[in-house]
Amino acid sequence: MVFLNNASRNTHLRPYSSSNTNAIINAAAEPPPPTQSHPNGSLAGKSIAIKDNILTTATPTTAASRALHNYPSPFPATVITLLQQHGAYISSKTNLDEFGMGSHTQSSFHGPAISPFSRNGVPLTPGGSSGGSAVAVAEGKAWAALGTDTGGSVRLPAAYCGVVGFKPSYGCVSRWGVVAYANSMDTVGVLARTVGDARKVFGVLDVYDERDPTSLLPSVRQRIRSKRSSTAGRGKKMRIGVPTSYLTTSISPAVRAAYASTLTRLQAAGHTLIPIGLPTSKLALSTYYILAPAEASSNLAKYDGIRYGYRTSGPDARPKEDPPLPFYAATRGEAFGDEVRRRILLGAYTLSSEAMHNYFIQAQKIRRLVSRDFDAVFALPHPLHEDTAQRPAPLPSDENKEDGKGKVDIILTPTTPTLPPTLSEIAQQSALEHYMNDVFTVPASLACLPALSVPVPLPAEVREGMEEGDVSTVGVQVIGQLGDDEGVLGAGEVVEGLW
Amino acid sequence: MRSPILRTVSISSATSTFAPRLPRACIVAKWLQSRGYQDGPSPYARGHNIPLRKHLKEQAKAEKAGSKRKKAEEKAAAKHPPRAAAETERWELTVGIEIHAELNTACKLFSSAPAAAADSHALPNTNVAPFDAALPGTQPQFQVATLLPALRAAIALDCDVQRTSGWDRKHYFHWDQPNGYQITQYYQPFAKDGRLRLRAEDGVPKEDLNGAEEIEIGIKQIQMEQDTAKTTNHPPSTYHVDLNRAGHPLIEIITLPQIHSPQAAAAVVRKIQGVLKSVDACVTGMELGGLRADVNVSVQKQGATGSSQYSGVTGLGQRTEIKNLSSFVAIENAIVAERDRQISVLKAGGVIEGETRGWTLGATETTRLRGKEGEVDYRYMPDADLPPLRIGSDLVAHLKETLPELPDQTVERVQKVYGLSAKDAKTIASLDDGDRLEYLEETVQLLSARVGPGSDFRATKLGKTVGNWILHELGGLITTSESTWQDCRVSETELADLIANVLQRHITSRTAKQLLATLHNHPPDSDRPSVEQLVEDGNLRLRPLSEEGYVQLAEEIIAENQDLVKAGKGGWKKSKTMWFVGQMMRRGEEGTVEPEKAREVVESVLGVGEEDGKEK
Repeated sequence: MVFLNNASRNTHLRPYSSSNTNAIINAAAEPPPPTQSHPNGSLAGKSIAIKDNILTTATPTTAASRALHNYPSPFPATVITLLQQHGAYISSKTNLDEFGMGSHTQSSFHGPAISPFSRNGVPLTPGGSSGGSAVAVAEGKAWAALGTDTGGSVRLPAAYCGVVGFKPSYGCVSRWGVVAYANSMDTVGVLARTVGDARKVFGVLDVYDERDPTSLLPSVRQRIRSKRSSTAGRGKKMRIGVPTSYLTTSISPAVRAAYASTLTRLQAAGHTLIPIGLPTSKLALSTYYILAPAEASSNLAKYDGIRYGYRTSGPDARPKEDPPLPFYAATRGEAFGDEVRRRILLGAYTLSSEAMHNYFIQAQKIRRLVSRDFDAVFALPHPLHEDTAQRPAPLPSDENKEDGKGKVDIILTPTTPTLPPTLSEIAQQSALEHYMNDVFTVPASLACLPALSVPVPLPAEVREGMEEGDVSTVGVQVIGQLGDDEGVLGAGEVVEGLW
Repeated sequence: MRSPILRTVSISSATSTFAPRLPRACIVAKWLQSRGYQDGPSPYARGHNIPLRKHLKEQAKAEKAGSKRKKAEEKAAAKHPPRAAAETERWELTVGIEIHAELNTACKLFSSAPAAAADSHALPNTNVAPFDAALPGTQPQFQVATLLPALRAAIALDCDVQRTSGWDRKHYFHWDQPNGYQITQYYQPFAKDGRLRLRAEDGVPKEDLNGAEEIEIGIKQIQMEQDTAKTTNHPPSTYHVDLNRAGHPLIEIITLPQIHSPQAAAAVVRKIQGVLKSVDACVTGMELGGLRADVNVSVQKQGATGSSQYSGVTGLGQRTEIKNLSSFVAIENAIVAERDRQISVLKAGGVIEGETRGWTLGATETTRLRGKEGEVDYRYMPDADLPPLRIGSDLVAHLKETLPELPDQTVERVQKVYGLSAKDAKTIASLDDGDRLEYLEETVQLLSARVGPGSDFRATKLGKTVGNWILHELGGLITTSESTWQDCRVSETELADLIANVLQRHITSRTAKQLLATLHNHPPDSDRPSVEQLVEDGNLRLRPLSEEGYVQLAEEIIAENQDLVKAGKGGWKKSKTMWFVGQMMRRGEEGTVEPEKAREVVESVLGVGEEDGKEK
């Protein structure tokens, strides 16, 4: 691979990519290990690209923000240590939306990343926020990549770039050393070319870490293992939930066709399709865009320019202005890009005493309902609910009358409502339209559930009308009960094997 | 567990290991000044330590100024009737207090970095874990051990420990707050509904007691939270931030607004400090910056029912909050000043604004820091990184059983076991961090071994005697020699020996007092003679006169003072008897005349009885 030869140059923060997708912002994050170190590790010799909001000590970590321009972390993320302990080689740091906030990897301090695919000569969006990681895997620049997924940031770019993207259950993979965006939903996810590869990486990362206070305790992990779904996985016939409410959402014909053909093939392979209602899911997107910015406004408060990171030049404070400004305002105003500033402002507002009850509290309640919806349909009990025998009472909703309560092993949805738009299309979109990309991914994020995007081929008749350079796959999303990450990966392999 | 300790984190330090910074002048000082803030303490956060020496100096100055003022006021009051006092009487003052106390713990609340005490001399920014510096990618790790002193405090203050409590983020920007928020327990504190009982001995004025033996002040809640970093100003405009204190565990104790005088408010804080120390919840008190208080002050005409309310108490006048009071004097004076300000505003037909005010030592008025419109919206939100805090009832029960004695219990025990008066028991228990009480207990034990278990001295009698010697004789010596208890070199054994000699009538108590002074003043480095040796060397042992000797001496002196005897015949006074006793003791050889015996003899020779003024 070309970029490996350039490793010794250690070109800080200079976009480097053979096809100029601007996916990689810092090649050779770690020197290649001697071949004899960890030769028996499950990831021995594998090159793994790391989203640049995960801390590495060999190179700066920027979170694609001026706020962390050239920030050298004194410690590595737990996931980095684990990968290295299993023989993997950290090959590069990858581009992302600033602090992980975005769906197209366009809001990076290092400049936008683009997809290797194009339409009418215009590059497509790689998706975001882990767009750099998705492109690195799609282009073969890394065997696998780590991303972070808060509302779909691994699954969405995976779907747009035609690779596998796995968001584990919240709490499975340590967040120690991961730059926080919305800490109640932040997860470290894996991008790979196959579900099997993603499983290998996840297998290494799926361990308890006492430094992450939300890491699932060993006792909980043990309980999950003992109750693991025996029906999901290779060779087993699955009961697949199809959320009917999702299908009424405007899904583009291409995505609808690919999703339908996936369902058809699954049914033909002997799996059962069960229509389910997830009535609260329609509120999930607005809920997410209240909670995530609220947490972001809090988590990003530390970037004040005092201890590290960007600080405004010139006088530190502007005492003569009315009202007088401490230097935080200038520092933060200059350090953050538009989208980050928008979300900080949104979050500061929804947490303010006058808006708190109408926004933040309501959104927390809906988050609970979203979780309850999922809980009601899965056959597996939720491992964190103390009394697993007690199912939540069904909600008084028409959709709830549908069969499928407590009978589903996994849920299958499209990952995105449309094929990846072109960069010129997204340039004309409003922030709200950008947010719409996450409509299918945020429910699992709100409910902390494991979710996997698997690329499935576009049906031939759809693909025929498209250009050579355009995408040929669509992402479909497998969602499972909390802790049933193995069931989700197993189901993903089933989907992968349909063609 | 790894706990990387960062060397330096400083606003304008070029030595930071992970983020090199060139020194750069900060002019935030001006910004702060422009908003009416003093430099140093965070205008939004609580708590800032004034260095001890500076603090004590200021306090002394303030007290001096205060006493001067008082004298002037007294003078003025003598000329004019005390109108102000009369006005105050018609207004009811209501005070609620929030006390912040540094917990006595080994590590910080959410990191394993050592928690240095307020007076620690650790190098700046050496006790700092990545989370304390708010480095990206870090999360808090609740240190369970910090809960123990907090629980002891809650139990000692009679609170209901909550089975489940939670952690919330309180947001504001200030450089002493690295994360941009403080983790506290806003929505669900770990302890609620406690109470504190105070008596006259605690410093509660009679009017507050209103005839009752004690008053009860409700504790609304106690919450755990993080302390802030320490900022030091290097004039003209450079500030250094020391993160050693950042993240140190604090408890905030919130009383109900049930306090109605400045003195009672100070007494409440003093008592809480005593309770916290007694259960080892805190190591340093107000004098060392380990305790800070904010007070909420409101007034209203007596009998009126205001429309304001807080902490669930309704019908109050509009309150203001005075932040960051770091001494008992400051608490009392700040409340007096704010009460008087509010009364004069209301009398002039004005309205009290709900605002935050500050107070500096020696000031006569509180100063406005910010009004309601300038109130910071803290945007409280639950901290999603931290699971709820669940406290088992078994732990609470265990701590209850093993709780050290509380100050009130100590006083009660000292009264009961050692026979001291309530006042003396309170004094001896509260002096010198309990050292004097320990001294008392040790001395009594030695003494009762000396005088023998079969003796007719009851423990209470021994205790009372020892208590008197410690408080009055030894205490007097310490005062006159301008030294402190720590300097006292008279050992428990020596005191026990002295008292034993007196009780067994080997020496007179006058002799014992002289010997005590000798021992107290004995040079520290030379060999100390034993009490027995001193008695021998000074030939001080009591060699009582015979009955005849006493009578002879008494008759001699009476004969010489016939005028006095005659003049007194009409109404004999005890003091006259005692005058003769004194003469006998003076004339008799050292160690031969005991006062009790001499009195007996004088009375019998003169024919006067025990009771004053009655002929036999």
